[in-house]
Amino acid sequence: MLRKIGEYRYVVPKSFRAGMNIEGLIYADDELVKAIEKDQTMMQVANVATLPGLVGRSLAMPDAHQGYGFAIGGVAASDLKTGVVSAGGVGFDINCGVRLLASPFRLEQVQKQLDPLLNQMFRDIPCGTGKSGIIGNLSYDELEKVLEEGAHWAVKSGYGFAADLDHIEETGRIAGANPAKVSQRAKQRGRDQLGTLGSGNHFAEIQYVAEVFDAETAKAFGLWMDQIVVLIHTGSRGLGHQVCTDYLDIMQLGMKKYGIQIVDRQLACVPVSSQEGQDYLAAMGAAANFAFANRQMISHWVREAFHRVMGEGRLNVVYDVAHNIAKIEEHKIDGGRRNVLVHRKGATRAFPRHRPDIPKDYFEVGQPVLIPGSMGTCSYVLVGTEQAMEETFGSTCHGAGRAKSRHAAKKEITADRLISDLKAKGIHVRGASKSGLTEENPNAYKDVSLVVDVVHNAGISRKVAKLVPIGVIKG
Amino acid sequence: MPSNDYRIFEHPADIGISVRGRSWEEAFAKAARGLFSLIVDCTTVESNERKEVRLEGSDREQLFVRWLSELLYFYDGEKFVVSDVEVQTATSSTLAATVTGERWDVAKHSAKLDVKAITYHELKFVEHPDGIVEITFVVDI
Repeated sequence: MLRKIGEYRYVVPKSFRAGMNIEGLIYADDELVKAIEKDQTMMQVANVATLPGLVGRSLAMPDAHQGYGFAIGGVAASDLKTGVVSAGGVGFDINCGVRLLASPFRLEQVQKQLDPLLNQMFRDIPCGTGKSGIIGNLSYDELEKVLEEGAHWAVKSGYGFAADLDHIEETGRIAGANPAKVSQRAKQRGRDQLGTLGSGNHFAEIQYVAEVFDAETAKAFGLWMDQIVVLIHTGSRGLGHQVCTDYLDIMQLGMKKYGIQIVDRQLACVPVSSQEGQDYLAAMGAAANFAFANRQMISHWVREAFHRVMGEGRLNVVYDVAHNIAKIEEHKIDGGRRNVLVHRKGATRAFPRHRPDIPKDYFEVGQPVLIPGSMGTCSYVLVGTEQAMEETFGSTCHGAGRAKSRHAAKKEITADRLISDLKAKGIHVRGASKSGLTEENPNAYKDVSLVVDVVHNAGISRKVAKLVPIGVIKG
Repeated sequence: MPSNDYRIFEHPADIGISVRGRSWEEAFAKAARGLFSLIVDCTTVESNERKEVRLEGSDREQLFVRWLSELLYFYDGEKFVVSDVEVQTATSSTLAATVTGERWDVAKHSAKLDVKAITYHELKFVEHPDGIVEITFVVDI
């Protein structure tokens, strides 16, 4: 039922299911589309297309897989007057995202010190299930500041440098975030989790630049061959999960109030312009700020570990992007330009050069896009393109995308075998939990290189550099 | 908690749980046990404290999600880990239950998975002709 256009685009026509207001569009090649057809991704793209007031198309990136409500890898934009905001369209891990730090060290320098460096990082970065942060229970007053100021709070508190902020999406502080719209419960869940990596697919990896595809852009991003970099993947922890839970509940009631009918209750939504919608966006912004502060703090401990083991040499923030977020942005709609609310659930903003909202250091090249691969494979740095503005509301993929369930992944390999296999490939691993490691077995994911090739060839972002891990810290 | 109380099934990204009970009360209780079996090694948790839970919902789906979200909050917000539950009432809009457990102790308890939230996705209630009720739900991990 999919209609293929060219090599990398599959249209989900309005006839796919009743009630679709717009078409769906899935980015994939012949190989990846097979995986997408196996689960409910297409149906979820179609379900999203039934929401009121969406503009353009309901999109899925090549790493898309079945989620709950929205597909993971989904992008959808709402008209601000007639459209809706959906808490499920952002997901539970609000501003789950990645940050890349560029070191001044070369691969061979760090390889000699890899184990002491990994051990230091593993000691300094709290990770794993049920772990509290080093700073303990924050006072509610201090937490409110985190929620308002995001990474700016972290820098003021001694975690990192003011220059870091220029290289974070929205400078690490979402405007309009309002801690008063975040429930006491969400704050309670988050208080002792600030500065923790968490578990699941979250990680910190020591990697090196293994390939440069676009020398000029790589140079602008401060990246060079054989350079050691660190990729950090984490989000807003229990605070964000509770914000989503709270507003899903509020939106269940809101749908009755506003007479909105939906096909899957996880898609619960309210008008963007409603009080409930505005409250959600203010709370979501606060949770996103928590995540920006979290990654800023973890960066600080990574820097301290490098300093202790490797000596002098500053790690610079290349960029920090959100994978789960909803943002009001100006886009071309029906020939004109206007603000719309873009939901990105497992998708990355990918703005081209000359957009006012990207860092001045990257103004002439475009926004860095960070794509983490599965454990022990590789990750990519891409750059945003004009084509993405034309087609995907300036969005691209976010990672490899899960292909097998966690349970199936676990059955395939033991933790000890996985660790020794990775070690044979030159990748050293420290994990808080053995079962956590096996669930993230790289075979459980699609090949990130295939995913990245699709977005590159489709033109919705462009390859800049490939990063290969040598050390992994897993929650 | 006897593991035959619930059935864990695979979902591409997350984990699903399916329970059957002779009443909604029994099924709601089994769902709670299934949830906590994912979070912690239940054999390490003792029933040293009790909590009374009273909830309302606009329909059974909302009530159910609120019920499990409440228990998840006990764990992730209040650091209280559940050993068992008794559900006295579970109508389509109100719930009364007693929850037993104890404060989370990293030295004593063995954590398994971080459950982020309870979803409405694929949440299903079935009432069989023989009076057995069945609940299927998916949690985000």
